[in-house]
Parts: sequence; structure tokens; C-alpha cells
Amino acid sequence: MKKSNLRVFSIALVTLLVVTSSGLVFGAWYLKRLEDTVTEKFEKPFSSFPSKIYSDSYLLYVGINLRLDELAEKLRRLGYFEVQATPKRKGEYRVVRQGVMEIYLHDFDFPTEKRPGVPIRISQRGSMVGRIENLATGKDMFDLELEPELVTGLYERIWQERKLVKLADVPPLLVKAILAVEDERFYSHSGVDPIGVLRAMWVNIRRMSFQQGGSTLTQQLMKNFFLTDERTLSRKVPEAIMALIAERKYSKETILENYLNEIYLGQRGSQGIFGVSQAVQFYFAKPLSDLTLGESALIAGLIRAPNRLSPYRSTEAATKRRNVVLTKLLEDHIITQRQYETAMREKLPDRPLVKVSNDAPFYVDYLRRELDENYSNAVLTKEGLRIFSSLDLQLQRKAERALVEGLKKLEASHPALRRKGNDSLEGAIIVMRPQTGEIKAMVGGRNYPKSQFNRVFQAKRQPGSIFKPFVYLAALMYGGQSGVKYTPDTVINDSQFTWNYDGKEWHPNNYHNEYFGAVTFRRALEGSLNSATGRVAQDVGIRRVRDVAQRLGIQSPLPAVPSLALGSAEVTPLEVAVAFSTIANGGVRTRPLAVKLVMDQNGQPLEKRDVRVEQVINPQLAYMMNNLLKGVVDRGTATAARRMGFTRPAAGKTGTTNDYKDAWFVGYTPDLLAVVWVGFDGPSKLNLSGSEAALPIWTEFMKSATADMPVTNFVEPDPPPESAEGVTSNCSPTNNEGELSQACPPPATPAPPVRDAL
Amino acid sequence: MNSFVTVMLAALLALSACAPQRPYRAPVPSIRSSPAPARIPPPPQAPLPPPEAVIKPLPPDPKIREQDLKSKAPSPPAKETAQQPTSDEVREAPEAGAALAPPLADDSSLLAKITPGVTPQRAASLRLTDEGSRLLDAGEAAKAVTRLERTIVIDATNPYGYFYLAKAQYRLGHYQESLNFLGVAESRLSGEPFWLSEVHALRGENYRAQGQLQRAEASYTEALRLNTGNRTAADGLTRLQLETPSANR
Repeated sequence: MKKSNLRVFSIALVTLLVVTSSGLVFGAWYLKRLEDTVTEKFEKPFSSFPSKIYSDSYLLYVGINLRLDELAEKLRRLGYFEVQATPKRKGEYRVVRQGVMEIYLHDFDFPTEKRPGVPIRISQRGSMVGRIENLATGKDMFDLELEPELVTGLYERIWQERKLVKLADVPPLLVKAILAVEDERFYSHSGVDPIGVLRAMWVNIRRMSFQQGGSTLTQQLMKNFFLTDERTLSRKVPEAIMALIAERKYSKETILENYLNEIYLGQRGSQGIFGVSQAVQFYFAKPLSDLTLGESALIAGLIRAPNRLSPYRSTEAATKRRNVVLTKLLEDHIITQRQYETAMREKLPDRPLVKVSNDAPFYVDYLRRELDENYSNAVLTKEGLRIFSSLDLQLQRKAERALVEGLKKLEASHPALRRKGNDSLEGAIIVMRPQTGEIKAMVGGRNYPKSQFNRVFQAKRQPGSIFKPFVYLAALMYGGQSGVKYTPDTVINDSQFTWNYDGKEWHPNNYHNEYFGAVTFRRALEGSLNSATGRVAQDVGIRRVRDVAQRLGIQSPLPAVPSLALGSAEVTPLEVAVAFSTIANGGVRTRPLAVKLVMDQNGQPLEKRDVRVEQVINPQLAYMMNNLLKGVVDRGTATAARRMGFTRPAAGKTGTTNDYKDAWFVGYTPDLLAVVWVGFDGPSKLNLSGSEAALPIWTEFMKSATADMPVTNFVEPDPPPESAEGVTSNCSPTNNEGELSQACPPPATPAPPVRDAL
Repeated sequence: MNSFVTVMLAALLALSACAPQRPYRAPVPSIRSSPAPARIPPPPQAPLPPPEAVIKPLPPDPKIREQDLKSKAPSPPAKETAQQPTSDEVREAPEAGAALAPPLADDSSLLAKITPGVTPQRAASLRLTDEGSRLLDAGEAAKAVTRLERTIVIDATNPYGYFYLAKAQYRLGHYQESLNFLGVAESRLSGEPFWLSEVHALRGENYRAQGQLQRAEASYTEALRLNTGNRTAADGLTRLQLETPSANR
């Protein structure tokens, strides 16, 4: 051999060795990587469980006002199905006749107790629930708690719903059906099944269409690990290798159990349904153990094309596919002829998929902010916590609708408010239950996808006149530094004046510069008179006004300057809601409550937040204030609410800032409080008052929200307030209160005309 | 007359001292109907908050762990505070006239309050309160809280819901929260000496658990003034005497 040839041969050999060894190293590395992937998936098969947020549960009791159509809607959102015959299975309901409904309740693990599903009957008496019967025991029930609604999952990438089951808990017929149609040689192959591939090819060629796939169940499982449906060679090869690795490392039972928990079986909006347990719940609203043969066959048949074959899409297609599976089971002698015939007769109910839009994004953002204090994002998105909140989804939707439509109406009636770009007219609503502090609904803006800025708790705005009740409450509480003991009938001078403080001057001006001379305390508040309020604040002392506001629940810094009396210090709608809830609740301050309970995946409570109360104002004073603020709605600046048809006992206060940038209304019945803010995020002026811009939104919301609530009034405390007469009458004939108190304003002084303005 | 009063008082205290020590006992709800409560002079008006008082925000939420959700036995009294009542104060506790009054009829049955005139809201709220009280008796304080919170949602004027919430919080060891609920319960009770007495007795228990012995004593005393048959208050006073330094005995 020539030397040069030897040299070439040597180089070629070395190159070959290098390439081969590189290939071997790369191959080994690649195999190791695939093995690690398989191991990770099997050892920690479902490492990412999104936490779930639930609404508040719904309590029904004998005597509650109830519309059955609203109950039916709620049941549908909870995954119940309407049937025509007596409900026999959990998750079914039927309207027996007008005013009578039967429901077979779901099992539900409430935060502190488990409720087994039982059949019940609700009978109405008039508009109220007259009777609730447990049909299983024949006994009457006095109350009934419907399970909370799932609001959303806190997911990392895609929303997957999955409930893990053990292989032993899956009905054997379901397992056999799946194996029969997806991989009948499962127990014979080693992860990849060449015979199966050849047979599938033969069937497909013979029928000239794609009838069968050759993927084994193990391969399908590997494919699912990637969370994509890509059908390329570059994906098929690693899938096959991984399947071989998995079969080498794990038992058939382990692989099968993983498959049953992992397989994709449908879609509910943005939520993917994974695993047989979740699928059975989704399609049949029942636990796995209650599955019939026909239903098992249907689930097995769905695996090939879950959305195309879904019974929600077409009962015909689903039934056809189910029958194919049943025939296969019969042919394979897995079921008897009798079982087959019975299962073939099972009728698939035609059930439309209820479009669940339980989104409450602003509320969920607020919850996340609260949760972030104690739980990392990784914990929230991966550890499957169950978070129970105070949210009432019906109120939430009503609040959203009231705000969005209210703002549209404003823009329609005031074209100057229409803006292009980012500076559009905005608004916010927060709804609270005064007795408990539960935040029942929250809408932080009119369009969440466009702006996630939550104006309920992130926007600090001047409250304007809604701050005035704190001045009047301070006056009732402390009296004036002049020695005056204020009552609702105390006469105040509503005229221009100057308040000198710290070498400066402050001149509160009335709306339209109109002044009314001697007016009663009550009239001054009802008419939201700036000058009279300024005088009261001056007499009481601005520090005391500030103390009252803080006592009620305002936490933002409040500079003790005269303009504070007219709402110059910036606060959030949330703070306003807390403060007025305290008044509504008889002087009992509650803490705002959105997160009520956090449980881990095993149902163990991690954190529980109870209702907190503190009597910070005496009940007599709170009652007086409620009465005064009722006057604002009945006779004062908020009478538009009455004209719009809101007739329940209610109290409230309008608010407009001096620069007309902010319009507010806070109003409440004894059981429900809502704060509405309207304005622009930027420096634009609204040029509308609280009664023009915010009150209509509040009224529309409250009319809808309280429609089914019993009418309640503010209860007089025992003993009643000292100046009860002054509280309960508009103009008391007698009054023996402080020096300036008078029975009525002097006849010569007309009562100020109330403007629907401030 | 005075000596007779002294003898009766001594007998009451002796009886109390013989009673075994136990944590707070709330009235056991019974389903028999009870007579209308005796009228007493209206309770003193809730005092105005002191002017210029510094208002603290609500205390941060104590993180409740699993073990906290189980009913906690009331903690032993904290170390003696500086404000130690004198032995005379303790002995003078119940007013002589009140001590002589017969015990009030048991008004603890909440179901008996559901009469035809009661609103559906109050009826539902009372039933839930009754359920909550039974859960408390069964040692399920956390479960009871959930149930009892419903009572005030349905009917915020139901004072018994607040009372049992106070009791639940006491059982969970949240004494300040319990006192807060008692304040609300008291403001919503009108002319019900039996229940006002219960409120004061439970207040005494909370103060005692907090180590505020003088306040505890005053609360027990007020409870006994309203209802001489209030065993919780009587037991509480006795325990206070036993727990205070020997000089008091």
C-alpha cells in the first residue's frame, strides 16, 4: 500500500471513529435525555396542578325569595342537567310543575364538611321557598347549601382539569373498552407494536381511509406528555423511543394508570378535560364508580377524536361511535349479548354544553394580590390549592352589566365623554355585604382585556362630597368645640365664610354659589351644602373628622386640613365601601373579606379567614347617620334613584369633586352596599356630578341585585338614639337639644332646594 | 338584713367553690319553650368611643393552621397583671340585692324563639345558630364558625348568632375577636337579661384568658347581677379567687 493511500485510509478511519464515537455519545446523551423526561413524567406525573378559585356557596332556606328560573340557571352553571323524569342520578334536576323543582345534588366536599349528594324537592309558596324535602329520608330540611361555582384556575400555561384516580378505582369494563379500541395488544408488546402498525396499515389501505392508528397506548401517553398534537417523524421517533424506555422501566399497570389520568378527552371553553375521571364528570356529571357500560364505551370511543365525537356536539355521532365500541367488546367476548343489548338501548341525552363564563378577572386579580402575600406563583399554579372566596357570580355579572351599559349610556347622552385611544371613560364598582365585610363583586374597569388596572383598590381618587357624612358623624359624636351638641335639627348657617388655619385661608363655595342661610343639619347633608358642612367641620375640628373617617375604615393618609371636610384627600373605592359598611352595619366595622379559605390538594385547610367585627361607633349614632343618609336618597341629591324605580329603604351619598373629575355614589340597603366611581384615568374632566354619572349605574345595579332579597329596613337600636325624634322625623316639632337646636328652620328661611347635582 | 345578705353571698360563693372547674359553658339549647324573659332596666347605653382615641386597624389575620381549626381549650390565665383586684373587691363583687334574686328561667332555646310572628329570615338564622351551637358543643369550632357566619348574613339583627360566633372564637383561642363579637351581640340584645348575662359571663372568660383579671371579675359580677343562676360567671369568680394570691382568700 502506498504511503499516501495509507494516510487517506488513516484519516478516513479516524474520521469514522470520531463520527461514530460522536454519534454514540450524542445518541447516549439523547437517550439519557429521553429517559430523564420519561422518568420525570412518571415519578412526578402531574407536577402542575392549577389552584382553583371558587365563588361563595349559595344558601337556600325556607322563606328566602327565589326564582326557579334563576335557580335552574345556577344549577346548569354548576354542571347539573335538566331531565324530564324524576332525577335518578346525581347532577340531574327537573321542574316538576310551576313552583316545584327536584334536584339530585352532587357530592361536594365543602371546606369544612362533606355533603353527600341526595335527592331533594323544593316547593315554592308564593315567591318564597316554602318547603325543602330530602327525598331520600322523607324529612324536611330548613336550609340547603349549593356548592360553590368554579370561577377559574390559576394556571401556568394552559388550563387543564384533571382528577387523579388509581387503576383499581376505574371500572374494569372502562379499562377493557379502552384497551379494546386503542391498544388490544397492550399486554403483549414492549411499547411499540410493529404488528399493530402493519395491521393498521392494512386496514387503512383496504378501506382506503384512515381507520386505525398504530400507536400503542404507551406511545399515546408519551405524545400527551408533550402537550401538542404534532404528527411529524421528528416527534414520532422520540415518542417511540420513550415508549420503549417507559416499558422497560415501568410496569404495565403503572403505564395504564398514567394513561387513564393523562388522556385528553374534551374541551370546555378554554379548559381542557384530561383523564377519565374528569371526563366522566364533564360528560355525565357523576363519579367514575357510577358509570354504565354504555357510558364506558362512549368514553373509550371518544379518545380518538374527543371534540368531533363529543355528545355535546352530536349525540348521533357519539352514539354511533359508542355502538362501534360496544360491538368490538361483544366480538372480543368482553361483554355478553345481554349486556350488549342493554347498553345499546341506553339513550344519550341531548344536552347542550352550558357556556360557562365565570370570569371575574378583576376580582381574581384582587384575590391573587391577597394570596401573593402568602403563596408564591409557583405554589398557586402547581400545587392545586382550592381557594374559596366571597364572590357572588350573579352579583358580579349584574355589576359588570350595570357598569358597562351605564358608561355606554353616559357616552351616548354626553358625546363629549367619548374618547379615542386609551383615555376612555372609566368606572368601577365594588359590592360588599356590610354585616360580614364579604366582597361580593368587584369590577375594576369597563374592559379588562384593554386595561387591567383595578380602579377599586389601585386608584386613589378624591372622594368629594361622599366624605361629608364623616363630618356630620363627627359632629353627632363629639359635638362642637363651641359647646353645641349637634342633632339632625340643629340649625346651621349656610353662607360664605373663611376658615383661617396655619396662616392660610380656606373658602368653601357652594354648588352654583347658592347659599341658603339657616338650614338644619339634616338639610345641609341632604343637599350636600359645602359651606354649611365647612362650618360644622370647623366647629367640630378637622382632626376629629379625620379620626372618625379612620375609625370607620379609611386607611389612606388624611391630612388634617379644612378641605378634608369636602373630600380633598384621595381614597380608594374599597376604602369608601369599608367605611360606609361600618355605618350601614350599626357602627360595626368589618374587615374586607375576599379570600375565605385556602385548602391544599388533600383537603387540608392551610388558611382560614373568618369574619372580623369591631364596634367602632355606637349603634345609636350609626342609626342616626343611616337615617340622615336615607334622607339623601328620599329627599336629597340622590332622589333620582327613586325616580328610576328603586323603592327599598336605602341610604347613600353622592360625591362630586370640585374639579369635576370624579363622580361617586355610595349607597346601601341594610344588607348590600355598592360604591360606584366614574371618571377618567387621565386628567380629563367628567363635568358631571355623582348623581348624574354614578347614581344611575348604582341604581340599575341595586334594582337588579336586590330584586329577590327580602325588603329590610334599618333597625332602631335599643335604647333608641337620644334625639330619636330628630332622627325619625324630617323636621321635629319639638327639640330640647343644644343651644342652637331649633324645632325647624325659621319659617322665613326656605328649605334649600335639593339639586340632583352633588 | 345586711348579715342575711352576707350569709347568702357567702353560701353562693361556697357553692361556686365546690363546683368543679371547667371551661366556659354556654347555655345548652333546649327545645322546650321558655317563658318570656323578665324585663330589666335597659342595659347602659354603649359608651361613646373616647374622643381622640387612637384607632388601631384590625389586627392582622392570624394564620390558622390545621391544628388551630380544632377546638382549643381556653388557655390558662396569663400571668397576673399589675391591676390586681383586692380581696375586698372580689368579695364585694355581686351586688347583694342581685345575689338574692332567683335565677332567671332558662332562655337558651333558640328554636323556641321561632314563633309564628318571626320573619323567615330570623327563623332561618335561629335554626342555623342552633346548629352552630351544637357544633360547638361537639367541639367543632371551625365548622361552627362557617355555619354561624351564615346566621348574620341572613339576619344581621340576630344577636345569638353574634354570641355564638364569640363563643366559637373563644374556643379557637381568639379572645379579642370573641370580645368584639360580644360587643356586637350586646348591642343587638334588647331587654334579655338571660342572654346579657351570658354575654358578660363569656366576656369574663375572655378577659380571664387574656389575664385581665380585674375586667374578668367585673364581667362575671355583672353577669351574676343580671342572672344569679349563671354558673359560668359563678365558676369564673370562684376560679379567679382560687387563682389570685392567697391574700385574697
